[in-house]
Amino acid sequence: MDELKVGIISCSGEECLGGTISRLATRKVLEELKMISTVTLCLPLYLAGGEEERNFANVYPTLAVDGCDKLCAKRSTEKYSGKINGSIDVSSIIGKENALNTKTVRNKDLTAEHIAMAEEVASEIVKMISNLPPDSYSGKTFHGCACGS
Amino acid sequence: MNKKVKVIPCSGIGKVYGLIARESALKTVFDLLPEKSETVCLAYIVTGDKEAREKIEGFACITVDGCPKMCASKNVSIAGGNVMEEIKVLDTVKEHKGKKFGSPTQLDEDGELVTDEIAAKIAKTINELNEGGK
Repeated sequence: MDELKVGIISCSGEECLGGTISRLATRKVLEELKMISTVTLCLPLYLAGGEEERNFANVYPTLAVDGCDKLCAKRSTEKYSGKINGSIDVSSIIGKENALNTKTVRNKDLTAEHIAMAEEVASEIVKMISNLPPDSYSGKTFHGCACGS
Repeated sequence: MNKKVKVIPCSGIGKVYGLIARESALKTVFDLLPEKSETVCLAYIVTGDKEAREKIEGFACITVDGCPKMCASKNVSIAGGNVMEEIKVLDTVKEHKGKKFGSPTQLDEDGELVTDEIAAKIAKTINELNEGGK
């Protein structure tokens, strides 16, 4: 039987804290969630990669995690890859003012409060994964992101 | 007209090299040369939105990539940015053989050192661009 894997695409935006939180929350789920396997893809590979990368959302039930309400990960996945199964707007969880903070973006500048924000978003991702219908897995294969994820 | 050089990393999420690319670009624009450089979300550029294209179209850009797929460079070029320099994290990393740099989530001490080294290279290029030397 094919193993259920869920795809998570993070915007990882560089201009504001929301992007950093989206990335950290996604990494936390990838590293720590044991119940269900998760896999990711670097978002810019939709254009820089090939057919394999663009097939990502057709292969996996896919969730987008966006740092702000521009929803770049959600819109790009739907534009280049396929329909997604859920989307999280980090700014709706940590507040727009926090998400659009352009002063604190680097990992090294994060405080315990920021880490708590990432943990809260990670919890929301896990909740969304647990609500996915088990038959959403297509059974197709994907050989993983070129960068090793 | 905003003449700041755009420094755009791949922010790859699968390996530590993506985080090194991200942190070195952010160190440059926030700490080293905030008056001469800024970043633009690569994910926004990928959307193809008109507003995102306008942020980089015709502007001097430096891209920082963590793997040979060169996502930042390719996407910035597609969106019309002038890629003046393609920084490859692996070029610097290979000068530090045997070192551990951390994970895609967190850099360790050697990861921070390589990040500082790459950020210094980016800053040097920006200064050269500003002096008209590149």
